[in-house]
Amino acid sequence: MRAKQKKNSAAFRIAVIGGVFGFFMAVIAVRAVYIQAFCNEILSEKAANQYKKLMISRGKRGTIFDRNYKEMAITVDVASIAAYPGQMEGMPQIAKALAKELQINRKELSQKLSSGKTFVWVKRQTTPKETTNIKDLQFSGIDFISEDGRFYPSKTLAAQVLGFSGIDGHGLEGVEFFYDRYLQGEKGEFKIVRDALGRGLNDRKSPEVENGGKNLILTLDSNIQYIAERTLQEAVDSYLGESGTAIVMVPKTGAVLAMAHYPFVNPNAFRSYNRETWRNRAVADSFEPGSTMKIFTAAAAIESGECTPSSVFFAENGEYRIGKHVIHDVHPHGWLTLAEIVKYSSNIGAAKVSQMIGPETLHKTLSGFGFGEKTQIDCPGEVMGNVPPFQRWAKIDSAVIAFGQGISVSAIQLISAVSAIANDGILMKPYMVQGITDKNGRILVGFAPKKVRRAISKETASTLKTIMAAVIEKGGTGAGAALDGYSVSGKTGTAQKADKKGGYAKGRYLSSFVGFAPVENTEIAVLVIIDEPKKAYYGGTVAGPAFKKIAQETLSYLNIPPAGNPDQITVQLKHEATG
Amino acid sequence: MIFIWMAIMSVFIMELFFYTWCRVQSVKVGYDISLATARQKELLKLQKNLTIELAHLKSPQRLTEMAQSRFHLVVPSPEQIVKIP
Repeated sequence: MRAKQKKNSAAFRIAVIGGVFGFFMAVIAVRAVYIQAFCNEILSEKAANQYKKLMISRGKRGTIFDRNYKEMAITVDVASIAAYPGQMEGMPQIAKALAKELQINRKELSQKLSSGKTFVWVKRQTTPKETTNIKDLQFSGIDFISEDGRFYPSKTLAAQVLGFSGIDGHGLEGVEFFYDRYLQGEKGEFKIVRDALGRGLNDRKSPEVENGGKNLILTLDSNIQYIAERTLQEAVDSYLGESGTAIVMVPKTGAVLAMAHYPFVNPNAFRSYNRETWRNRAVADSFEPGSTMKIFTAAAAIESGECTPSSVFFAENGEYRIGKHVIHDVHPHGWLTLAEIVKYSSNIGAAKVSQMIGPETLHKTLSGFGFGEKTQIDCPGEVMGNVPPFQRWAKIDSAVIAFGQGISVSAIQLISAVSAIANDGILMKPYMVQGITDKNGRILVGFAPKKVRRAISKETASTLKTIMAAVIEKGGTGAGAALDGYSVSGKTGTAQKADKKGGYAKGRYLSSFVGFAPVENTEIAVLVIIDEPKKAYYGGTVAGPAFKKIAQETLSYLNIPPAGNPDQITVQLKHEATG
Repeated sequence: MIFIWMAIMSVFIMELFFYTWCRVQSVKVGYDISLATARQKELLKLQKNLTIELAHLKSPQRLTEMAQSRFHLVVPSPEQIVKIP
């Protein structure tokens, strides 16, 4: 009986314990089912957030190539130095050392570090040497963050044309700015998976690579650009000029082979240069062209049918009064033909030609050549220049515009107009970019040469070529620009610069030479402008030799055979040539 | 009966091992992909640096200086250009 009672009591206790355990198991089971079935999404996300991170990044900026696919601007990984002030030990000492190594203001850095922010940039886009030096110091709370940096391998070459981009990857000047929307990479999201030890897991290609920007293929040739820049530097330095501009263009297409500016700018460190030097002055500045305008006065006269190259004008022996104004020639001349007016650069002759054809005809021709309107070249900040409406021209205006005063043009307008003469009278749109490619080099957009209009007839263009060729001959103002082995047509220009009072400044000139070669089958047109030369100021003396050097070396580089030797160009050792 | 149960249990255990092996392999391949991607990034960086180096070596300024000073090359004058029929 006792044993039976004992057995019942044990069974009861087991049942109670079983019930309690069963109850708790049921609670756990219900909770498990609830978590698995109803909370799975929220909890999965919570867990994933601990090892997955969503990043938004912009693709790398596209590359800029010259016409031979030589890199002129590329994007590279650079380190930026950041600080977490809360984690720094010995902040004043660290700030002192950082300021010294990175050459930044110590006081400003200390203020930034003490501002109470959890994260501050110390210096963006540092040089590899700076990064290594700071890493070696092993400071706490200092981080190195990889960023995209723009690098220009050719340094100062074509800097004003290429422009540059800022720290945040936006183009700020030049082609970088004009084609920013193509060059910029697209924004994209990507996930980073990291394990507990911080190791990457399943890292795929990031959008930096996948969503990279488009590449640009320029019409510039870095070799011709170098020839132009080096020659320009020599010319400006030897005549103690303030600055200079040179352009090399293909007249048949309007493609710009070189656009040089001096003083140079290194876009890798553009902030250390004067802002004035950043600008692409060939496009963004206008100037009074001076005697180079006589070409277009002659064009207007011939095109109107009122003159031939042999029409004669009396040049008043060097002094000609129009109202209260007196026009002078550098050398007094008597009777001159139209061709001689251009050859000897007679202001009085040009004024008389203008008086004969009338302001409307001259204005129409100048407008036909594109003066007073933008060329629409693919560079930012282009100016229109200024050609006042002919209805407003006084008698003196009509006379002085004929020799390049009272109007303003840009360098790109001037060379485009002269190229139109070389191109049998057809004005082409100048252009700097010939194509846009994707990251694999496939052409997405191609820019073909674009005809603007016929400026003058083929016959007039042919006559002008002959007239301009005479400028380079013996006795002409541009004799110093004659090329060895190639025929040249050109025109000198010497313009007095305007002063602040609205008159002309004494001793401040703009010397220029514009021409093309070979005359028969023109391959290149070249413009050289030297601003405020001190040693001499005539265009033929200052800019003519620079034109000669650029044209000679460019034709040689382009394998254009000299007259009579059409088959081969060779280079040989100096000692062989001289010996 | 015991054999049937043992067979069923063995199948389940084998499946469990196979599933675990697959997961381990998946994670391992994930790490390998990450390492390969990192290596690719390094190589791309190296390629960019080499591109810069090449651009510097081929710069017209450097080549002109070398041509003139080391090899005494000059731009030929038209008389020095030989026409080959």
